Parts: sequence; structure tokens; C-alpha cells
Amino acid sequence: MHQLTDNALMLKVKSGDLDKLGLLYERHKRRLFGFFYNMSGNANLSEDLVQNVFVRMLKYRHTYSGEGSFLAWMFRTARNVKYDHHKKNKELFQADLSSWDYKMVDNDNAIAQMEKKDNLLLLRKALMQLGEEQREVIVFSKLKEMKFSEIGEVLGCSEGAAKVKAHRALKELKRIVQKMEIG
Amino acid sequence: MEKEVFEKQLMEYLKGTLAPDKKEVFEAFLEQDADAKKQLEELGGVWESLEMLAVPEPSSNMDMQFFEQLDTEITKSATATTSWTEELKRMLGVLFRPQLVYSVLILGLGVLGGYFIKSGGSKANTTIETVNVSDTRELREKLVLTLLEQSSANQRLQGISEASKIVQVDEQVINALLKTLNNDPNVNVRLAAIESLSNYVNNPSVRQGIIQSIPNQESPIIQVTLANLMLALEEKGAIESFKKLLEKEELDTTVKKKIENTIASII
Repeated sequence: MHQLTDNALMLKVKSGDLDKLGLLYERHKRRLFGFFYNMSGNANLSEDLVQNVFVRMLKYRHTYSGEGSFLAWMFRTARNVKYDHHKKNKELFQADLSSWDYKMVDNDNAIAQMEKKDNLLLLRKALMQLGEEQREVIVFSKLKEMKFSEIGEVLGCSEGAAKVKAHRALKELKRIVQKMEIG
Repeated sequence: MEKEVFEKQLMEYLKGTLAPDKKEVFEAFLEQDADAKKQLEELGGVWESLEMLAVPEPSSNMDMQFFEQLDTEITKSATATTSWTEELKRMLGVLFRPQLVYSVLILGLGVLGGYFIKSGGSKANTTIETVNVSDTRELREKLVLTLLEQSSANQRLQGISEASKIVQVDEQVINALLKTLNNDPNVNVRLAAIESLSNYVNNPSVRQGIIQSIPNQESPIIQVTLANLMLALEEKGAIESFKKLLEKEELDTTVKKKIENTIASII
């Protein structure tokens, strides 16, 4: 069956068919939740912020032009929601490491799993030590569905600049991980 | 290979979006340049590990609240778009229904019957009804106050929606709504508080409370919403508060223009 593109769905929302926002929500809720969760490490807050993104999409639906990528528009909205949250709470995201987990692989033995868990906890901590902009570019780069051209659209820079930013952020992350391993 | 070109291609390579012809050239370059290969291995290791960081599933509560909110919006929008001609047709349709004739007849009989029955019990009935209405209002007010104290933004939104159902609210609810407008961390909750408070703008303490909150607002949406409300009310008392807001350096330029226009229109 032919599936409507995100752009077409959002244009329908814009023209008054608000029901279609439900489809967009189903398609993107996990992606948005993942973005906020990777940025904050707080599941409850992430759920609230996802709601805020859709409320804002509904409120500003008249500004949607249908040009460019829907994903980029949605994540720009998500960034604004995050920005407003910081502004209101006057604090950046703080990591709650106790709730973090990692993906288990079946063939890992117990010791390998412990080691992996430690390494991944270290990586989480390192990720949270990155500046928020660098963390953001890493999180966007890891999204399979997002091209660098779209990341550039979200960050307000060129595709090339987005790649360079991602490279620098990854290098910085590696540096922090190494420093933590030594310490 | 130039440093920046290498950095860009490395990221494309890791992400798996490097075009096949470029990928071949890039891999050949890596074979010749040991430093570049080392960098790929190191960064590649961190990149791959990032895959292992799990993200939990959002709760079903998130879905429930989203669809509840969407339903409310759909209902609101449907009500607003019903045209006046449709409304007229509907009313005319009702007028010409035979049921109406019967209803009028029964009503007439009721009035006549009532005329002949002594009014002893009617006083008691009225009292009971009044008590019930007042009880419901009190209960609803308590519910509003409790919901506004909750940590979940959605519950606070629900609290505001409950407040909007009360025709005559008391000072306590007004104060709670004003406190929400001034202090709630969630911009949507603050927006809803404005909407709810706008129902009671005839109450001078509500007007004053809204005006006083203007300089404290930092979100552009809230600032614009308050400007629109004050413009609609032609509230000259708000001008000073808007001027205080204009003094803020971090004020968004579009909002600034909007507020300047609002002040000019109110004057």
C-alpha cells in the first residue's frame, strides 16, 4: 500500500486534517524520545519533551512549508523545545547514570558482559561530559535515517560543516574516554 | 588528502553513506597512510560502541496523553469550523420537527400543573440543588489545586482544563493559576494557564496578576500570547510591564517588534 510521506502528512495536518498528526507521532515518537533520552538520560523528562514537540508542531503547523526535509523541521522544533526547557530551568541536562543500560548480545559470557557494561557506562559518562552541542551532533549522526545534509539543516550550517563538527565531536569523545580510562 | 576532506570522508565512511567510488579511493588512501588508518580505527571503535547504548521504550502513558491531547485539539478545531449557515440549518431543522410541538404541549401542561400545586416542597428542592452545585464546584476546585501541584506536565495541563470548567472560581484557584503562569517550567502549561485565566479577565485581581507576570516571562510564545491578550483587552495598565520586558537584552527581535506594535495600538 502506498504510504504517505512525512511531508504529505504534515501538509494535511496544516490544512486541518489534525488526525494525521497521530501517524506522524507513531512514526517518530521513538526517534524523538531517543534524542531527548540520549541528551538527558531522563526518561520521564524525555516523554514530556516529546509531547511538547508535537504540541508545538500543531501550534505552528501554519509555518510548515513542505519544502526541505520533515525530519530536519521536526528536530529543529525538538531543539527549540530543549532550548526552552533549559531557559526555564536554568540548567543543562544532568546525567542520571543509574538508569542507563546497554544492549546485551546473547553470546557474551558473564565476565565479558560485566566488562562491556563498565565500558559502556564509561562511554555514557564521557558522552555527558561532552559539550551539549557536540553531544547533539553525535546523537544526530548516529541516527541512521538522518543524512548529514539534514543534520546541517537542523544545526543551521552546511552539510560539510556538519561532517566536520561530527568528526570533532567524535574525536573529543574519544579523548574524554581515554582520559577516563587512565584516571 | 587534505585534512578537512579526510575528516568529512571519514564521517561518511563511518556512517556508511560514502558513495561506492569514493569509498574505494578512501580505502586505498587508508592503506597508504598509517596515521589516517589509526585514526579510523580509534574513532571507529568509539562509533561502534555508541550503537550499544540502549534507549528504553517510552511508556504507554506517553501515547495515552498524546492521543488525549490530540482528541481535544480535533474537537476544538471541529467546533470552530462549523459555519454559521450550518448552525442556522440545524436550528431550523429542530424548529420544524413535530417533536417540538409535543414538547411545547407537555411543557404547557407542566406549567399548568405546577400552578395548581402548592409550592411547599419547591423551596426545599432548590436548596438541595444549590448545595449540590456548590459541592461539585468545591470538589472541582480541590481537584484543580491538587493537579496543579503534580510533577507531570500533563497532569498540570489536566488541572488547568478542569479549572476552565468552573464558572465562578475562588481566589485560591486564581492564585494557583497565576502561580502556574509565573513559575511552571513547562511552556505549554503556562500557555494553558493564560488561556484559562483569560476567562476571568473581568476580575481585577486576575488582570493585575497577568500584567505583573509579563516582565517575568522568558518564552517568546508566552510573551506574544500575553501581548495578544492585552491588545484584545486594550489594557493600558500593561504598557509599563511591556516596557520593562523591552529592556531585556535577550528579547527576541520578532517579539520585540510585536510588543512595540502592541504598545502603540493600546495607546
